[in-house]
Amino acid sequence: MSLSGELVPAALLVILAAACLLDRHLRRACLVFIAFALLMALAWWRLGAPWLALVEAVLGALLTGTALFHGLGHLGARSPLPLRDHARRPRHQATARWLAALAWLALAAAAVWGLLGGGELSVPSEVMRRPLLATGLAIMALGLWAFAHHLHLLRRLLAFNVLGSGVFLLLAGLAGPTVEVQGLILVGLVVALVGSVLGAALLRRLHALDGRVSLGGGAGDDR
Amino acid sequence: MSVPLDPSLSVEAAVLWLSLLAPLPLGLVAWRFPPRRMLPVLLAGAPLPLVTLWLLSRLAVDGGLEGAWSLGGLLLHWRLDALAGLLLLLTQLLLLASAAYAVGHRRAIAVAERDFAGFWPLLGGLAAALGLIWVAADLLTLYAALELMGLCAVGMMLLPGTAQALTAGMRYLLYALVGSLAWLLGVALLLGAWGRLDLAGLAADAEPGAVTGIAMALLAAGLLLKAAIFPLHGWLVPVHASAWTPVSALHGALVVKASFFILMQLWQRLVPEALAAAWLLGGLGSLAILWGGLQAWRASELKQVVAWSTVGQLGYLMLAFPLLAGTSAAVATLAWQATWLQLAGHALAKAAMFMAAGNLVLAVGQSRLGDLAGTSRWLPLSLMTFGIAAVTLMGLPPSAGFTAKWLLLQAAILAGQWPWVVVLVAGTLLTVAYVFRVLRCALVEDAPRREVRPVPGGMDLIALMLALAALALGLGAEWPLALLREGGLP
Repeated sequence: MSLSGELVPAALLVILAAACLLDRHLRRACLVFIAFALLMALAWWRLGAPWLALVEAVLGALLTGTALFHGLGHLGARSPLPLRDHARRPRHQATARWLAALAWLALAAAAVWGLLGGGELSVPSEVMRRPLLATGLAIMALGLWAFAHHLHLLRRLLAFNVLGSGVFLLLAGLAGPTVEVQGLILVGLVVALVGSVLGAALLRRLHALDGRVSLGGGAGDDR
Repeated sequence: MSVPLDPSLSVEAAVLWLSLLAPLPLGLVAWRFPPRRMLPVLLAGAPLPLVTLWLLSRLAVDGGLEGAWSLGGLLLHWRLDALAGLLLLLTQLLLLASAAYAVGHRRAIAVAERDFAGFWPLLGGLAAALGLIWVAADLLTLYAALELMGLCAVGMMLLPGTAQALTAGMRYLLYALVGSLAWLLGVALLLGAWGRLDLAGLAADAEPGAVTGIAMALLAAGLLLKAAIFPLHGWLVPVHASAWTPVSALHGALVVKASFFILMQLWQRLVPEALAAAWLLGGLGSLAILWGGLQAWRASELKQVVAWSTVGQLGYLMLAFPLLAGTSAAVATLAWQATWLQLAGHALAKAAMFMAAGNLVLAVGQSRLGDLAGTSRWLPLSLMTFGIAAVTLMGLPPSAGFTAKWLLLQAAILAGQWPWVVVLVAGTLLTVAYVFRVLRCALVEDAPRREVRPVPGGMDLIALMLALAALALGLGAEWPLALLREGGLP
């Protein structure tokens, strides 16, 4: 595989992540997320981890997607959520969250830089994995921004899933598709799925109880 | 460094793993056939702490147990030393007490059996996860156990199904998920830099440097978030105030401490000499002690007082970091013992206090402090339990809290780290203030007679036993401390 052959799917991943997180039309955002997860599965396959690809496709795309659509109430439920998210976060809110997100990103970028520059990577770093690291950082940045910024709970769940995918890509880029990495990602995928299912079910219950789709800016809510 | 792998599983190891995983089938059985009385629950769970006692006696003879599971090319490491064994014993006792209490609690709050049944498998999952955390010796097992614990805890918080519980649970879920991603990123950096996940190997290989520091910062951020250490404690109080009493008791006693335990393990192995960072953690702990104490003093509802007091008491644990970093061996030993004694004493006392508070609230039917007036006459046993648990939190002799804070004070003076002395004194005064505020409300003698609905006697008894256990731990602290000394610092 040539370097440019790696760049196209990497760029596509970032574009899909951005589209999924920016779209105020929730059903479209969920569909884009499923496409994103399928592309992630393709990435694992190309990295030589077919089992991980299968798990990503089933857990990440199929089941998480189903959970999200269930959260929206578009699987034949009686009271579907409004299809568009109109909420706008007031300016100057959640400064602490922004700082935390920026600190996270700066730390991650600095560590990746140190590992690449100092040649400290345990596996000799291959040129092929550089796009993986860059993509991971970019997707993490998008996920962190969305998680700090969005109010709608479904969009925060999407942001969490995208952020998780960014971390997985970084993990694979740093250590290669070793068995440890696959184990960590496997656990991470299961956790993300359970978290999404629980979150979507909660969202439905909260919406049914008092029609809300966000937590409201509670005190001490700084991430 | 390779870990010796014994091909034939020793009897101790087999017994340990059976007792670690036994809560899962027990939880499933209780889900299918919900227990109606406390006795069967106690009988079913009682073998587990007995097994752990036996394991502890074996540990005293032939040192720690360790080993690794091979799973499709993955090596999952575990080890049982004195500290892990003692924490396992504490966990099993508290889980058993909470399980028995939960049976009475379901009857007292009159929840349908079907709606309560979900509690049991989650309790089993929580028990297994906590056991795994104490014995895990690699980052992958720790990750899986931490997540299992977090998700089971969220599930238990949601069981009441009220809007308040659901909102608090959703916030907790989002925090926990993001915290776990911070943890995973830290693990990714360590794996990228050193190519291994087992703690012993990382301790040997990892050199202090920018990457190790950043990885530790990310791991610490995730864990502090899950441990509700100031300023990341925002999710704790609403969650505790709206959950069922046995759930808040377990959560305040054990779940938040598991994250602290992991943080301490990693810190000791990866960055034991990081002075500035250790002082930062100590500073956060001090702020937690002061802020938690102040908020507990200002809170208007009984369960909120208890929940804020958890935020404050967790701060004492954080003082261990500066006292262990670059200090003399004498100081480190004192601080090490003080920390685990404080953890155990607080776990017992906090569970007792939550249960006593829950009993008071259930009996009176109101949760505001002002509504407790006159409970000293109508509910003397619940109030006495609350008071005995408070003795440990305030650090009065002869409780475990006293011994722990005394050791901590000695360590701080010996190391010449005076700020912590001031914090310890101020924290104690604040604790006295909020405890006496509750007692003053309850001791109003001329309160109009109101209708109280006493809770089943077993619930009061369990809370009282836990509160007395916290006192007894102070008197009999020599046994666990001797085991800890033999185990030594990691």
